[in-house]
Amino acid sequence: MSAQTTRKQFKPLPYILILPTAAFVALFTAWPVLLSIYQSFFRQRMNIARFREPTYIGLDNYIELFTDPYFIQVIKNTLTYVLGTVPISIVLGFLFALLVNRKVRGIGLFRLAFFHPMVLPMVSAATIWLFLFTPDYGLFNTALRFLGYSGPENWTGNPHLALLSVVIVAVWKNSGYYMVFYLAGLQNLPVDVYEAAALDGANGWQTLWKITFPLLRRTTVFIAIVAFIDSFRTVDHIFVLTSGGPSRSSTVLLFELWLERFEFQDIGISAAITVIFVIVLLAFTITNFITSERKEV
Amino acid sequence: MKKQKFYILLVVLLVTGLLATACGTTATVEPVVEEEAVPTEEEAAPVEEEEVVEEPVIEPVTFQVFYPVAVDAPIAAILNGYIEDFQAEYPHITVEPVFSGGYGDVQTAIQTTIDGGGEPPALGVMLATALYDLINADYIAPLDGYIGSMEGGDAYVADFLPAFLANSYYDDQLWSIPFQRSAVVMYYNADMFADAGLELPTNGESWGEAAQALTVQEGDATNWGLQFPSGWPYWLFQPLAIGGGQNILEDDCTVVFDDPAVIGAVNFYIDLSAKYNAMPAGVQAVWATATTDFASGMTAMIVHSSGSLTGILAQSDFEVGVMALPGKEDGTYSSVPGGGNFYIMKGAPQEQQDAAWKFVEFISQPEYVADYSINTGYIANRASAYDSEAMLAYTAETPQALAARDALQYAGAELATQNLGQVRGIFHDYLQRAYNGEMSAADAMAAAQVEADAALVDFCP
Repeated sequence: MSAQTTRKQFKPLPYILILPTAAFVALFTAWPVLLSIYQSFFRQRMNIARFREPTYIGLDNYIELFTDPYFIQVIKNTLTYVLGTVPISIVLGFLFALLVNRKVRGIGLFRLAFFHPMVLPMVSAATIWLFLFTPDYGLFNTALRFLGYSGPENWTGNPHLALLSVVIVAVWKNSGYYMVFYLAGLQNLPVDVYEAAALDGANGWQTLWKITFPLLRRTTVFIAIVAFIDSFRTVDHIFVLTSGGPSRSSTVLLFELWLERFEFQDIGISAAITVIFVIVLLAFTITNFITSERKEV
Repeated sequence: MKKQKFYILLVVLLVTGLLATACGTTATVEPVVEEEAVPTEEEAAPVEEEEVVEEPVIEPVTFQVFYPVAVDAPIAAILNGYIEDFQAEYPHITVEPVFSGGYGDVQTAIQTTIDGGGEPPALGVMLATALYDLINADYIAPLDGYIGSMEGGDAYVADFLPAFLANSYYDDQLWSIPFQRSAVVMYYNADMFADAGLELPTNGESWGEAAQALTVQEGDATNWGLQFPSGWPYWLFQPLAIGGGQNILEDDCTVVFDDPAVIGAVNFYIDLSAKYNAMPAGVQAVWATATTDFASGMTAMIVHSSGSLTGILAQSDFEVGVMALPGKEDGTYSSVPGGGNFYIMKGAPQEQQDAAWKFVEFISQPEYVADYSINTGYIANRASAYDSEAMLAYTAETPQALAARDALQYAGAELATQNLGQVRGIFHDYLQRAYNGEMSAADAMAAAQVEADAALVDFCP
């Protein structure tokens, strides 16, 4: 009887329906990852004739990476970049959403103003910023001077400012995008809780922190995942603004991966970086998944 | 049972669907070729009489050329025009131009195609300095066979400006043909020099002094006497080293970073801001804005690519001067070539490679070289191109184009080494540290030398 039930419960239709997706995931995601793991144990350099054929070298690629002070600097740069872009763009996105979630005449214009950087391709955005960052007459510097800033203006050429300048562009580009998610979340919030809060005499600040923000928790988790992953995989603006410089001070993990693979033609090292990359992203996604699912129960 | 049939049907549908898409892609390729073959046959008609006798069977060939757009000029339209002319002359050959981004993108596209087991395009325009990487990876074919079987092949090669052939030879073989080539030059605002009663600089010192004299404070902003981009610094730096008496490379295995003359050149760059106050301090990521600043009269001199000439002339309303960079000693000058060459890919079928060579030969005829130079701002790369009527008319009106060519007589070889990406990366790293004052020029160049030597060990046993 029970055997019959299990047999009945096996329904092939769902499996058939996910077959195309599964095939694509296997072919374009799983297979390259497995290949990278395999290649990361080999020395293979396309621009050295005698290293063109792969030789097994165990963990040497990983050891080389983690003993290279320059790679450690790349990891530090990446962390700085991620910590600099993700929280700030989320907070700004939230604030923008609160600002434009009102019934004011011409509010569409403000929403558009905050959202339009998202529509621009990253390369165009970076090119615009290249001109904004121009020392002396660049708009960004002019505005800062107007606000009383008198520090260095050579944003993309100064080793202490180059990474900050790519962070600024990323924040400018992404905040409006996250605003849209928050705006959608805000507009779906139930009205009765606010009425209840008003009856209980909650002030605006309390309503914001005790009601609005907690109710938007799922939105925040979603945005955090999107923002985190995006901060790892967007490097277009670095190519335009700094080329990873000066003196590699704005080189992040994905930019380094591109350098190793296509400039240095080092397949083993670039495979090892890919593996590190995948591990970091997987660890983050799984942790996030587990913690957010657990809270739902 | 009915359900099972439904599933089987579904699977069959899916499989046929997938097959259809797979076939669809191959099927779409064929009609395109046929379509393109039709006009070819029509145009073939008049030529047939001569050709039929010599080569009774001409198999139609189609090959791709991957090319970058690296300057502000309608390269795609210009190339398409040349391809039409070429196909009219060689009706059995069809050229498919593939615009592939910048130089780096072209090389990446070709690399990934080959590494992935695919068939590369027969022809690619890539940096002249990519030579060793392309040879080591076994991507490109030598061209000596074609030159040998060509009528007047040696004269053909000898006609190219020697500076542009410097990165074409390896192991006594010729691997690339110059195509869109440029050089580092200095643009100066001749009106500003005349107004200030200044002579053109003839050495490093007088250059710095002229730049200092032409630096003007205007309210909050400074109109600098000189802009010298250093966001991607090796190329523009090289003339300083060459002008100081020592280029930064000797051959594909030997770089010279820690020579006192090279260190002196680094210090000269720093002095332009520190001593002469003629330029902002530190690394200048101003490649994109320098030409606009110069053309609008905000800055008196810029060091830039000769490829920017057309754009600058179009935007400026003063007399634009072009010259080689002043060297260290009085009366010495320097420059360095740059730009892209034609490479024929080994992995393409032989008949495609042969057709690609025909195209290279066709497009390097003096009149096409002249036309390309006039329309893009690249330096015409063959001596005979300067005798063509169009070029004579153009240079009479735009003598700056000749100045750009003449700068090449002072040029040294562009940085091209084994393991170029890494060696260049190391040099950039330390050069920028020196520019930004994080290290002294001597320390930075010494460290760069040590690291670059280590990066070359595997390549140069």
